[in-house]
Amino acid sequence: MLNSVDASDERLLALIATGDRAAFAQVFQSYAPRVKSYLMRLGAGAAIAEELAQDTLVSVWRRAASYDVARAKASTWIFVIARNCWIDRLRREKVEIAYRDVFEPPMDETSPSEAAEQSETQELVAAAMQTLSKEQQDVVRLSFFEDKPHSEIAAQLAVPLGTVKSRLRLAMVKLRAHWETLK
Amino acid sequence: MTPAHHPEDDVLAAYAAGALDTGFALVVGVHVDGCLRCKARVGLLLEQSGQALRELPRVELAPDALVKTMARLDARPPRSAPVDTRPLIERLPLKPKKWVAPGVWVAAVDTPHAPENRVYVLRVAPGAPTARHAHSGAEFCTVLKGAYRDEVGRFGVGDFAAADADLDHQPVIQGGEECICLFATEGRLKPHGMLGRLAFGFADV
Repeated sequence: MLNSVDASDERLLALIATGDRAAFAQVFQSYAPRVKSYLMRLGAGAAIAEELAQDTLVSVWRRAASYDVARAKASTWIFVIARNCWIDRLRREKVEIAYRDVFEPPMDETSPSEAAEQSETQELVAAAMQTLSKEQQDVVRLSFFEDKPHSEIAAQLAVPLGTVKSRLRLAMVKLRAHWETLK
Repeated sequence: MTPAHHPEDDVLAAYAAGALDTGFALVVGVHVDGCLRCKARVGLLLEQSGQALRELPRVELAPDALVKTMARLDARPPRSAPVDTRPLIERLPLKPKKWVAPGVWVAAVDTPHAPENRVYVLRVAPGAPTARHAHSGAEFCTVLKGAYRDEVGRFGVGDFAAADADLDHQPVIQGGEECICLFATEGRLKPHGMLGRLAFGFADV
């Protein structure tokens, strides 16, 4: 009956609930490297992703008894534990990390027309950036292209947070005006 | 009452994936908590995420990862805090209320984990004046109590509203009850790529 790969994951969780370490090792080998991969896609550094992947699997061990096959697939249940580990970490550590789309398609899957459109957009963006002062370009680049939080930009440029915000606001007004002339 | 206004699917997907800024995630979470429809959708999205997790490329772990993890299995788990069952509005760690106008106060939600977000609760008494306003960036809102109406529609308890720089509106409180809303602003929602985000900033997308 339990012949698919999914079914065996569910069965492994049931075995883990009875304290079966071999079953745990098997789930660890199959999921921990992918949980690490998922967390790195969310923006976690390799070391934090490694630590949280291990934490996730420890939680799988501790909570296996509460796993209910009728309510969720094993992969869903493990994903939710990994997701919550990540969110708890953000809350606990007060870190700010650039959030990435988990399932953002890789660039090479862009269709030719999309690619043309994208390069056209990139030219427009480059031209628009030229209308800004050097200082404004810096904050726009750091905020939008490098995805840095305002506080980090302030630290990097050694200016007050309010200056970063006001420079960005002015830059956006200029960019918008420039954009309007192109419409 | 069943909410009538819901987050878009890309917002729910980012929420399910854990990819939303924490302040925004809080506002979305309050809506999802009280909305059977969105709960079901998030359930489905989590299932898809679980499937996607299985298909992700494996990233190499530290050589001793398995040994270290196995060594932790017998440790006593940290005692978890008892579940707080108070309504969310009482559980929110609110900073002192600030008076804004007659019948209107605002209180920031203490979110040390999300200093780039501004999360706050706004209370408006029935009949209190509200100002027409535009938005400088993305803003999420879930109604906790009462109701308001604006150009988009009527928003009652549990309803979710997303605004961006495009929305210029004047909310009016409905009925004889005060209206209390939970907001997140400024922290950035990033459902699209880098160019999309830049375009979001200056093309009124």
